[in-house]
Amino acid sequence: MKNNQPAPGKALRWFDPRHRQPGTWAFILNRITALGLTLYLALHLIMLGKLAQGPDAYDTFIALAKTPWIKVGELLVISAGLIHGLNGIRIALTSFGIGVTVQRQLFWGFLTLALLGTVIFGYFMFFVH
Amino acid sequence: MTEGHWHVTFCIYRKKGDQPPFYQDFPLEVDPDEYVLDGIERIWAFHDRSLTFRHACHHSTCGACGMLVNGVEKLTCITPIRAVTKNGGTIRVEPLRNFPVLSDLVVDMAEFYLRMEQAHALQVVPVAQSTLPYEPPPFPDDGLPHQRLNDCIECGMCVSACPIALTASSYQGPAALAATQQTYSLTGEKSLLSLVDCADGVWRCHSGFECTAVCPSNVDPAWRIMELRRQVIRHRIQRIFHQDR
Amino acid sequence: MPGIQPKAREGAFLWLIKILAGLSIVIVLGIHFVVNHLVAPEGLLNYSDVVRYYQNPWVVTMEIFFLITVVTHALIGIRSILLDLNPSDSLLSIINLILAVAGVGAVTYGIWLALEIASRGQ
Repeated sequence: MKNNQPAPGKALRWFDPRHRQPGTWAFILNRITALGLTLYLALHLIMLGKLAQGPDAYDTFIALAKTPWIKVGELLVISAGLIHGLNGIRIALTSFGIGVTVQRQLFWGFLTLALLGTVIFGYFMFFVH
Repeated sequence: MTEGHWHVTFCIYRKKGDQPPFYQDFPLEVDPDEYVLDGIERIWAFHDRSLTFRHACHHSTCGACGMLVNGVEKLTCITPIRAVTKNGGTIRVEPLRNFPVLSDLVVDMAEFYLRMEQAHALQVVPVAQSTLPYEPPPFPDDGLPHQRLNDCIECGMCVSACPIALTASSYQGPAALAATQQTYSLTGEKSLLSLVDCADGVWRCHSGFECTAVCPSNVDPAWRIMELRRQVIRHRIQRIFHQDR
Repeated sequence: MPGIQPKAREGAFLWLIKILAGLSIVIVLGIHFVVNHLVAPEGLLNYSDVVRYYQNPWVVTMEIFFLITVVTHALIGIRSILLDLNPSDSLLSIINLILAVAGVGAVTYGIWLALEIASRGQ
């Protein structure tokens, strides 16, 4: 009798985009990027500890950070930051009653901006620097 | 434009007592302009008298027949078969999510109604004061005090569609929060704000806007939740400066 | 079946702090990208560059402000996700403790690191 009730164990279904509206897709993206960025924040703070160990430790680490796979990871972080930040603006606006009726258009607009930003950053990271 | 009849399979969620649920297929010949509820009633009438489901008015006023149709919350009495499948297709009918299933398509709405009561949900509202996120149809200017039926028909579909209600059983849910917003905007009753300014209230919403998408009745719960947040914040900030309650 | 028993747990101000911290992050991150990637086109890619960058007290102030807002936003956000899972009161108090310790720890460590780097310039 209890199979249809809310349960914390159903958390994975948050991320099921089927039969969902753009609002939930935004929620899914926001939650995934939130978890990813928090993980990155922890790693970032730990890695910056290398600075305290002096020039050699830090510069060796930066050399490692220039390898392509790490760059792909960095681009993912930038992309997640753009998606989370821009969608965050959408959530902040709608939460104060601004633009609630155009929240779908805001989602598509901000997502486009985030993807565009990712492409631009990717271009500079891989082809310019 | 008579295209004749369609052959459609109703795939219905069945569950009795403590037995495990299963899906049962009922192939049916239907007119595509009939409603999903018509098909379900025909299954009950001619194929299986043990099938249970809720319905009453057949014209989207009572809010009893909300079900999951092909994965989306629909008021089955106003959902044409044509809109959810094609000739030779399947219609999967399941009970609303986030409610305990009592039997087949019937869910237990007791706690939902209790929450509506605690939100002081109104049945009728004065026309002049019904805050609506859209332009309401005009009423005759005959000097009489007009009242309108509240938009919310308490069908529970917004709670079923809410991704947060999926995991948080104590979340008050879109319907109760929308009702709180409407009652507060009419009465200014401050205790309503304390009821929703908590983890299980307005702050649990994560802006999925699914409630508004499935609402069959122009309540726009998501808009009301955002509006309620504004009122809570405004009241909290006013309280810092005025100390009024 | 019980009705609603409002439990404080997450109120208007915690939520407002999350939103304001989020907006500050957007602004500071914008400044960060302009300063680090446009003004200094090669980026801050080695130890001596970073130390030199940290000689500016405004930079240190901004980085510490950024650290505090990011950690606050992240931890309130994580708490909000955990609240979506409907934890019991006792579990939530453990979660609160862990998050508070993590937050204070991260901010203390970050401030120490920023000041340590800044002090190496002389």
